[in-house]
Amino acid sequence: MKNQNHASFLCLAAMAVLVLWAAGLRAAEDDPPLSETDQCLSCHLDDDVMPQDYGEHDIHMQKGLSCAGCHGGDPANDDMDDSMSPAAGYVGIPDKKDIPRFCGKCHSDIDFMRQYQPAIQTDQAEQYGHSVHGAKLMRGDTSVAVCTSCHSGHNIMPASDPRSTVYALNVPETCNKCHGDAQYMKKYDIPTDQYEKFKKSVHGQALLEEQDTGAPACNDCHGNHGAMPPGITSISHVCGTCHINNMEYFAGTKMAAGFKKKKLHGCEECHGNHEVPKPSDKMIGDDKSSVCAQCHESGDKGFLTARVLRTRLDTLAAAYRKASVMKERVNSLGMDDLDIEFILQEAKQSLTKARTMIHTFDTLKVSALTTEGLVKNQQAIREARVQIEAYYIRRKGLGASTFIITLLIVALYLKIREIERRQKSTTGEV
Amino acid sequence: MKRNRFLNIILGGGTLAWLGSIFYPVFSFLNPPKRPEANVHSVKAGPADKLAVNSGEIIKFGRRPVLLIRMDTGEVRAFSATCTHLDCIVQYRQDSKQIWCACHNGYYDLRGRNISGPPPRPLDVYPVNIVNNEIIVSKPKQMG
Repeated sequence: MKNQNHASFLCLAAMAVLVLWAAGLRAAEDDPPLSETDQCLSCHLDDDVMPQDYGEHDIHMQKGLSCAGCHGGDPANDDMDDSMSPAAGYVGIPDKKDIPRFCGKCHSDIDFMRQYQPAIQTDQAEQYGHSVHGAKLMRGDTSVAVCTSCHSGHNIMPASDPRSTVYALNVPETCNKCHGDAQYMKKYDIPTDQYEKFKKSVHGQALLEEQDTGAPACNDCHGNHGAMPPGITSISHVCGTCHINNMEYFAGTKMAAGFKKKKLHGCEECHGNHEVPKPSDKMIGDDKSSVCAQCHESGDKGFLTARVLRTRLDTLAAAYRKASVMKERVNSLGMDDLDIEFILQEAKQSLTKARTMIHTFDTLKVSALTTEGLVKNQQAIREARVQIEAYYIRRKGLGASTFIITLLIVALYLKIREIERRQKSTTGEV
Repeated sequence: MKRNRFLNIILGGGTLAWLGSIFYPVFSFLNPPKRPEANVHSVKAGPADKLAVNSGEIIKFGRRPVLLIRMDTGEVRAFSATCTHLDCIVQYRQDSKQIWCACHNGYYDLRGRNISGPPPRPLDVYPVNIVNNEIIVSKPKQMG
């Protein structure tokens, strides 16, 4: 009996919760839109004086922070003079020079920001102060980028949103709005072709053509809020953030020390910066097209090292191509190429490692890897030959067996005829 | 006469069928069809107790190498062993308990997420089931 009462109480409680939840949903559905309750929006929409870049998907609007959230004022008051008075906290349109502080009011306040996103960063304004943009703004240059230049003013979306101006795939175009404008950038005396070069680079191709958001955009090398060009000492570290082995190998070379003395940029001297091309074996060597020949002269030690390294790479690459062609042949003959493919993967890995090891400029280390790769290629070629020979053995075997069977049948036919002839002659004699 | 004709038809038809049975396989063998890759849906990767705790092993999943890892907790996980950067084969590092690509020093965590170095994307995760101590690795759903 006690259990029955308990169950009834639980049922009633569950029903009550359901009714309250449904009522809540209904109330939410019945809530009037912000454009009716928020007097700023209501009047500005009616009078068609909304900011040009206004978008209703703006993250602030989505979180219930309407115009007054940034510009102040009283959004509940429909009297324009009262609602937009200093007494109501109205601050109006900020001067460009004040925008970082204006946004930083909330974005630098972790107690305020964690209401919306507990793990959000709140050091953007501080970082901005250390950027080239921020430093110039402090000196009174209002042509530089402020928060709204990159994030937009009234259509701000999180960087993870593909519609955002700061989404990885959109960053290069966002930066290029100013940095690609030769007229706008004239007074800074810096190049304006970075975007065009980046588009052609291995990074740009991966990001913009293959839509690979893992590829670096401008901010991955220059920083975002603290954006500035990487210095001579930090450039290897910037590239080394992703290309760790290349950085470590190069850092241990005599060349790295020499570069530092001569104030040459580590990676950039050979690979370029914005236009970083897809690296190829042609970059190393003693011919005129190689990057080594830009500094080394015929006969010097570096020149000879480059020649050896290129020869090693070429030998392995050629052997890999040959083994790959044989694997394709095995595949087209319908034979089993699975093991060959796995061996070739290892050979390719040795080639990739050797190409990375180039950054040590150590012929012995590179040779060890190319030898390892050559052994794998030879193994793959041997396996391919076995499969190709097996194919021909089967074909010849089938031909031989077909010939033998045919021969047997013909012989059988002749034998039968001979038996019949004998039977006829025996019958005739009888 | 009628019987003789019947026998001739049987012999002629039989000869044609025999020739067909000889030449069809010959022709098929000389001109092999392009075979699509064998569609592997799951593979048996050996007894679970043979894979040591805190160790990894590369297995063949059709044409793809797969990295099988037994974690400290005893749980077995499987990931595509092909690095998402330049297709090198990744390996399990017992010291750092991470997945490592030796070619460019790329690192993935034990959920397959790229965490350091040049790999641009996470590794594909292959579902693992252990049935009667046998490790069964299945094809990820996104690969169809």
